[in-house]
Formats: sequence, C-alpha cells, structure tokens
Amino acid sequence: MIAQNILRRPIRTVISVLAVGIEVSMVMLVVGLTHGMLHDSAQRIGGLGADVMVQAPHASMFLGMTSAPMPVKLGDYFARLDHVKAVTPVLFQFDPSGVSLIWGIDMKTWDRVTGGFAYLRGGPFTGPYDLLVDNWYARQNRVRVGQVVKLLNHGFTVSGIVEHGKGSRLFIPLQTAESLAEQQNRASIFFIKCTNPGYTDSVINAIKKLLPNYTVLSVQEYMSLLTSNDLPALTDFITVLVAIAVTIGFLVIFLSMYTTIAERTREIGILKSLGATKGYIIELILEEAGILSLAGIVAGYLGTWAGRMLIHRAFPTVTVEFTARWAVWAAILAIVGSFIGALYPALRAAQLDPVDALAYE
Amino acid sequence: MEPIIATQDLEKVYRIGRVSIPALRGVSLTVEEGEFVAVMGPSGCGKSTLLHVLGGLTRPTSGKVLVDGNDLFALSDAERTRFRRHKIGFVFQRFNLLPTLTARDNILLAQHIQGDGCNPHRFETVTNMLGIADKLAQRPNELSGGEQQRVAIARAAICEPKILMADEPTGNLDSESSAVVLNMMRSVNQEFRQTILMITHNPEAAAVADRIIEMRDGQIISK
Ligand SMILES: Nc1ncnc2c1ncn2[C@@H]1O[C@H](COP(=O)(O)OP(=O)(O)OP(=O)(O)O)[C@@H](O)[C@H]1O
Ligand SMILES: [Mg+2]
Repeated sequence: MIAQNILRRPIRTVISVLAVGIEVSMVMLVVGLTHGMLHDSAQRIGGLGADVMVQAPHASMFLGMTSAPMPVKLGDYFARLDHVKAVTPVLFQFDPSGVSLIWGIDMKTWDRVTGGFAYLRGGPFTGPYDLLVDNWYARQNRVRVGQVVKLLNHGFTVSGIVEHGKGSRLFIPLQTAESLAEQQNRASIFFIKCTNPGYTDSVINAIKKLLPNYTVLSVQEYMSLLTSNDLPALTDFITVLVAIAVTIGFLVIFLSMYTTIAERTREIGILKSLGATKGYIIELILEEAGILSLAGIVAGYLGTWAGRMLIHRAFPTVTVEFTARWAVWAAILAIVGSFIGALYPALRAAQLDPVDALAYE
Repeated sequence: MEPIIATQDLEKVYRIGRVSIPALRGVSLTVEEGEFVAVMGPSGCGKSTLLHVLGGLTRPTSGKVLVDGNDLFALSDAERTRFRRHKIGFVFQRFNLLPTLTARDNILLAQHIQGDGCNPHRFETVTNMLGIADKLAQRPNELSGGEQQRVAIARAAICEPKILMADEPTGNLDSESSAVVLNMMRSVNQEFRQTILMITHNPEAAAVADRIIEMRDGQIISK
C-alpha cells in the first residue's frame, strides 16, 4: 500500500526525493569543499618551512579573506628579535576571475625563510609583471613558461613553474602587488623562520609583547586549527548551511506528508474501521516518509558525485574532500529531518476519529 | 445463552458549538448470537450513530455497551481497537475500498491488520462464496457497485468476526445487485454463523433478516 501511494503521486514523490537529495548533497558538498580547501591550504602553509606567522589584529583565519595590511617595516623589527633567522612579508591579492589567491612575495627574504622554490621550468622573476605558477596550476590551466596570463586586469608573463606546496599557487613580485593594491610598503602577513624550531614559542612571546593586539601564531598551531574539526569559525559556517539544508528536507517532507494525509483522510478512516491501531497508522506514515528519504539519500549521493565533477571541471584546483563519516552524517540528518517532518502529520492521522474520517469527502 | 450485544439506556448527544443534537435517546436492545437483525427508520433517527456506538467507533454520552460479554467503553482506546478488529467487521453504503489496491489486496490488508488469529485458508472459501474469485486482480473502479460491495463483505468477513455491521449496504446498488448482496449476507450469516446488524431503508432488504428493529427520534419503537 505504501508503494502504491508513492507511485500514485509521482510529482509529490519526485519533489520529496529531490528535496532530500538536495539536502544530502548540499551537506556533503559544503563539508567536502571546506575540508578540502582547508586541508589543502594547511598543507601549503606547512610546506613553507616557516615557524611563525604574524597578521594584523583580528585577521581572519582564512588567509586572504581580509587584507588588513601591516607596514612592511615591521619585518625589520621582527628580524632583529632573538632567535629569528629570517622574515618575509607577503601581500595577498585576490583575483576574482580565477577564484585564486595571488601572493606578492619578496624573493630575497622569501628564499631565506622557505629555502627557495624548486623550479621545474624557467626561473625567478625578471621583471615586475612576471608570474610564478605551481605545477598544479600550470597543468590544470595549460600554462607554459613565457606565456602571458591575465590576472588582476594585467598581463603577467610566466617566468617559471615551481613545485607545488609552498603557500600559494600564484606568485608575483611584492612591489607589483603593492602598486596594484595601491598600497605602499604593505604586507598582509609575515612568515618568520627561527634559528631553531624550538625557539618558536619564545619568538611568539617576544612579538606579542611588542604588538599585543596582533594575530601571532605558530605555523604548527595554525595548521592544526585548520585541520581540526572543531574550528569555531568553520563549524559555525557549516552548521548554518547544514541547518538550512536539513530545514529544506524537513519542510518538504512535512508538507508532503501533511497534504497526503489531508488527501487520504478517508483512507485512514477505512483503516481504522478495519481495526488499525494508532501505532499502525503512525508506522504507515513514517515508513512512507522513510522510503522517500532513503530514495532522497541515494539521489543525494548521486548529486554529490555529479556536483563534485562540476566543481572540478569549473575550478580544477579546488579539492572536495569526502569522508565516510560525513556521508553517514548527511544520511542520518536527512532521516532524522524527515522523521521529525513526518511525525506531526502521522500523529494527526492517528488521532483522526474514524467516523469523521469516513464521512470526509 | 448470553446475548452477543446488549445495551442499556444508550444516549448519544452531538454538540456543535452550543447546539446539542440528541442522536440516541435511551436505546436498550439485545441481539443473540447468530441473529440477522435489520434496523429501519427515517433519515436522521440515529441508525448510523447506533451502529457506530455498538461497533466501538464512537463513544456514547452515557449508557453501556456489552459485546460478547465485554464492556466496550470500559476498555482503553487501544484495547477497544484490538477487540473491535477481532470481533466486528464493517460494511458501508459507500463500499469504502482503498482505491489504489486491487480487490485481493483490499481483502489481504484486512487480514494483515488483524494479524494472527486470521485463518489464511479462509480467503478462498470467502471469495468463492461471494463469487468474486475471478475479480481479485481488479481495482475498485474496475468493478461494478455490487462487486465492490461483495469485496467489502469479503473484507469484513475474512477474519471471522463474530459480528458484521452493515450501514445501508444496498443503498448504492440497483435492485438486482442488491438481491445478490443480500443473498450473500444471508449466506455469511448462515454458513459462518456471524451475527449481522444491517441498517436499511428498504423493506425488501429488511425482509431477509430474522428480526426488524424500528427506530424513531433516537429511540427504538418496536423490536
Ligand atoms: N458527527 C456528527 N455531528 C453532529 N451531529 C451528527 C453527527 N452525526 C450525526 N449527527 C446527527 O445525529 C442525528 C442522527 O444521525 P444518524 O447519522 O445516526 O442518522 P441515520 O438514522 O443514520 O440517518 P440516515 O438514514 O440519513 O443515514 C442526526 O440528526 C444527525 O444530524
Ligand atoms: Mg445513516
């Protein structure tokens, strides 16, 4: 009978299944995208080889979200601190057309902090409008040395292709970044290398004493913050989106079951006259909602898979990271959402007076 | 022998806002096991209400209903439902078959709801007797009124309830189909010894019964 009801109202069924499917794929893609991006960027920050990073007060956890620049001169103060081997400033530039974060770097100090790039093709900048790309970017965008790439409304000539894993995928000279940002002698972040990693904490303390409001973190700490699951800013963001997704599923199932019951009042009266208990009716409705949401979960997994393909096609450098844990969570959320959505209609159906229900037209 | 149905001073008052409509005004009656009783009376005299109360679908305002020795409304809701599904089958004027299910599935659904205590071998006996064995794959809208009502009777009788309650079972049927359905009810009554309480407006239909109860204004005027 459940199967009949599901098949007899194909549009309702398709819409319910779609809603749950969207819910599931939205949860999985949001979580997958954020995890993928964060793990990716954590790894690239770790790959720099720096020990400490300094940002302006209230800087965002997500590099490049806020520019909040600091004077480049600060770097000189940091360099004079005990146990500091080298300091390099970076100015972030966001290129909306390619959804990529471009780092303006100062090659001389950069090399001292990070040990320098590994050049797979070409070499360092030779002019202000030169560009370094990592091999990932080069492969995905089919970029060769000598080619001109349009970024930030300027043509940049690719001077070299470097091994990926050091900070960003795109680098331009710091001065160029500054002049494009119309900001003289500014940096978004400083990376500091200690004479020995063991001195990290004492360097951090020294900087905090110097600049109490600044965001000073060890690279280690930053990485574990990004990759941990209880990152506060991230969980807020994910929670909001997941809540929206679950609400969509809940509302559609609620409405779908609610209208179904109005439509089937007479049927429920018949079942009751045959001796169906309240439990039987509740079970019937919940089971129907359960089947709809199971179909929705399957649709959602397919949608997730399709969504990832689309994302990869549109943004080849973006990683979407799925975990079995979140696949299970998305399914559980969908089932719980539809269960709660179907519960009230089910209880209402169970409460119907059989005589009234039979008289219902 | 103890009567299968016994009531004492049954009253039922419907309230719509501040208006109260007395539908039953002191009904006392007894029905013996195996009896075929017809209930007649003008429209609005409370026949359906009486049937619903006796069948445990509606609670009376006051009075007692004993069915097979059990005080129906002293039971809890769930107990009454369980009791009802083993002891009482309903047949309605409007057939009330589930439109999405075939005749077979409609009957099987009743079996399913009633669960154990339902003899699976009875299916064939009942459908044969009601002459619907070759209609089982059809849905209600592919059946004539008479056939639908026979399916409904099969559904009500399938689990051998002691009592069959029928509210104008021939009200929507032409005279030919009515005769067939009444015949079937009679056979069910005689072959399975099921007690039948049948509401009807039609004296010819009532004539099939062992006894006719006349109602007027919520009361029984003759037994
Ligand atoms: N759910 C209800 N709410 C309010 N009043 C009702 C309700 N059901 C029945 N009544 C009233 O109770 C009285 C008896 O109704 P009932 O349906 O029992 O009559 P009946 O003898 O079956 O009539 P008919 O032959 O037309 O089926 C009528 O006056 C009717 O209007
Ligand atoms: Mg009536």
